[in-house]
Amino acid sequence: MRRKSMMFKGLIILLVGIFVLGGCQGKGKDASQSQEDALKKKEKLVMAIGSEPDGGFDPIVGWGRYGNPLFQSTLVDTDSNMEIVKDLATDYQISEDGLIWNFTLREDAYFTDGEKLTAEDVVFTFDKAKDSGSIVDLTNMKKISEVNENTVEFILHKPDSSFIYTIAATGIVPKHSYGPNYGENPVGSGPFKLVQWDKGQQIIMEANENYYGKVPEMKKVTVLFMEEDAALAVAQAGQLDVAMTSANLAQQEIDGMHLEVVKTIDNRGLTLPCLPDEGKTTKDGHRIGNNVTSDIAIRRALSYGIDREALIKDALNGYGRPAYTECDGMPWSNEKAIVEYDVVKAKDILEAAGWIDVDKDGIREKNGQRAEINLLYAAGDSTRQVLANAVALQAEELGIKITIEGTSWDVIDQRMYSEAVVMGWGAQSPIETYLLYHSENTGKDYYNPEYFSNEKVDEHIDKAMSSLDHDEALEHWKKVQWDGETGVSTQGESPWVWLVNVDHLYYVKEGLDMGTQKIHPHGHAWPLLANLKDWTWK
Amino acid sequence: MNKGIFKRIIQNFIRLVTLLVAVCVIAYFLIQISPIDPIQAYVGAGVAVSPEQRENIENFWGGNGSPLKQFLTWSRAVLQGDFGVSLIYRRPVLDIIIEKFNHSILLMGLSWVLSGIIGYTLGLLMGINRGKPGERVMKTICLSLSSTPTFWVGLILLLIFSIGLGWFPVGLSVPIGMLTKEITFFQRVYHALLPALALSFTSFSPVALHTRDKVFTAMESDYVLFARARGEKSKEIIKNHVVHNTLIPAITLQFASFSELFGGSVLVEQVFSYPGLGRAAVEAGLRSDVPLLLGVTLFSALFVFLGNSIANILYQWVDPKIGEMDYE
Repeated sequence: MRRKSMMFKGLIILLVGIFVLGGCQGKGKDASQSQEDALKKKEKLVMAIGSEPDGGFDPIVGWGRYGNPLFQSTLVDTDSNMEIVKDLATDYQISEDGLIWNFTLREDAYFTDGEKLTAEDVVFTFDKAKDSGSIVDLTNMKKISEVNENTVEFILHKPDSSFIYTIAATGIVPKHSYGPNYGENPVGSGPFKLVQWDKGQQIIMEANENYYGKVPEMKKVTVLFMEEDAALAVAQAGQLDVAMTSANLAQQEIDGMHLEVVKTIDNRGLTLPCLPDEGKTTKDGHRIGNNVTSDIAIRRALSYGIDREALIKDALNGYGRPAYTECDGMPWSNEKAIVEYDVVKAKDILEAAGWIDVDKDGIREKNGQRAEINLLYAAGDSTRQVLANAVALQAEELGIKITIEGTSWDVIDQRMYSEAVVMGWGAQSPIETYLLYHSENTGKDYYNPEYFSNEKVDEHIDKAMSSLDHDEALEHWKKVQWDGETGVSTQGESPWVWLVNVDHLYYVKEGLDMGTQKIHPHGHAWPLLANLKDWTWK
Repeated sequence: MNKGIFKRIIQNFIRLVTLLVAVCVIAYFLIQISPIDPIQAYVGAGVAVSPEQRENIENFWGGNGSPLKQFLTWSRAVLQGDFGVSLIYRRPVLDIIIEKFNHSILLMGLSWVLSGIIGYTLGLLMGINRGKPGERVMKTICLSLSSTPTFWVGLILLLIFSIGLGWFPVGLSVPIGMLTKEITFFQRVYHALLPALALSFTSFSPVALHTRDKVFTAMESDYVLFARARGEKSKEIIKNHVVHNTLIPAITLQFASFSELFGGSVLVEQVFSYPGLGRAAVEAGLRSDVPLLLGVTLFSALFVFLGNSIANILYQWVDPKIGEMDYE
């Protein structure tokens, strides 16, 4: 027994030791003294923002699509008003037919390994990205070639003014050192360089002192990857400068931090099948069409008769904006798409179209067809669930019965051509408008499952894509929503009923200035860092 | 006796192979009949990708064969040690499993040792003091702990020790913002300690309760009675007879608890943002990363089987009469 008690004592000493020594590592903030002391508080930043990018920090497999690749530079960039500004490119020209794009590169851009960035690297990047089978969409790029050391030339299959946004989202990688492990050890010419990546936990980056632009004031930035509730715990322990959060967690008060509400086009809406059910199926055998939602009156009445403000209050705890288009507030969105909440008008539209409640059971009928539809949503998404619920309640007042059903995306894949679905988009590029409404995309993917097509709308989209003048293109994009006669907005055919844009929420340490944020896209987290190079401590 | 053990090892090996084959087939075809679309999982909702681009992605992942053909291709690769490339990480599955397991092994090992020591000690104390009020309280605690969800224990520990007192880190397996070369082994242990504690809290009770009964049986046995008659003191009796007869079964049970350890680590890793195999499994499942999910499934089957085999062999060695005793 004596020996045993010695063992216990030993164990207790060991545990106490771990406590004490662990405590010596500094309460909570375990910082490596040597290096940390050299940096002033004003030059460091610790954040917890969601999850790490799949496939690492390689622009060729999609890194930097949202916001900014940080470690790499892009030919052009967008400013806080989503206007195009030059970055690696000092200038660019587009040919008369809109098919040939020439970019001239700056002479003072170097990769962090000391090599100069030339046209060769740009050509390599876009060629590689086109063949990579990843989410970088370059299907419209026919060819890219090097004219000379500082000039590259893109040749497109068809004119596409939105291609500039694709270019703005593609970081340039070095041809001489690109390899399969590039995503883990990115080398670029951006404002930051990656120092360390502890997979599943954090990245540590440092300012690139040789950056050709203004060198960032934040010399060392640590980004942690954890769930929102865990991030909240770390923030409460006082160890974070920025913590991503969501509407249902944002009620907490954290000492020394305030809640930053960022406006977005991270939208949610309903897709409503536009074709009647005539027994047609997709090539995979899924039913197409719906005899209730194919009536334009139903779609428009829903859009007028839904109180978006109430949705924001109930489903988003007030953190959101009403949505009327897929791009509210972007330069290519149309203010005419905005409609007032008007139940009387909604009912008038239904009556005029012959939807009348004859048997007085609260649900309208037309030619024997009851106004009943199913609304599907992804079951794991609480926001979509609450939205679907609220919409169903409000539709009841209009005399339309909506049965909501939470299910998996895999099931939605099969039923979205014939049923209403809660969907969400929001890209910082008008290419999305083409994908959502052009007849070329009917029944392809999630973009246009409602089989919406309208010749006038196609025409506006084609003109917008082929327009060489940026402002003229914007005008055409706006006409897609409403051109005075038709369009995709509520006044027009309303294939979508857009509901809300979800605000992105962050707890931010007092005194941190995050500059002017762009309107954030779909996908929460990385877009916040798009302008990280401009962040300062007051 | 040695021959017996050798025979058991051979038998176990054959059993392992058949088990792994069965796990492969079942797991693969479960995924096949589920409506998972790995391509969709890869693209993710809300990224502007044109349909042509999507087709490119499909071709890239070779999603165009019959299920059987895909399975045969996959299993042939697995036999050659190639588990394919993870959809999420775009890196070989085996690399990811090794990387994540390196984190998990520290957590699980620590927790396993802790729960073994706590469990056995408590069981011994309860067995000796059977029927006393203290023992009844302990038994109640054990029973209620064994039905407490691991993640809840984790959250409570996190609230008290990390957020409230600030004694422990709030998550992760390494200090925030610290370069790898400056991190000591000690800091790693320090980061794994709280999650390990949470994990062992819910897994020591089976050992404790089992030991309690064994100790009690030993205390009531003829040889202890005989020892008492010979005038041995209680301490000596416990040391010479009781511990001697109950320690090995407890260790055996510990080895047989690998599956609970693995299952529990999934939850604990979520709570503590600990980047181990458990979290990888959850991610793979939620995001339809088929190659990774299958890899983790196989690996966990192997891991649990290993624990059970050790338990079996130990048992056989302690008590040849038991022979066929299975925990699987």
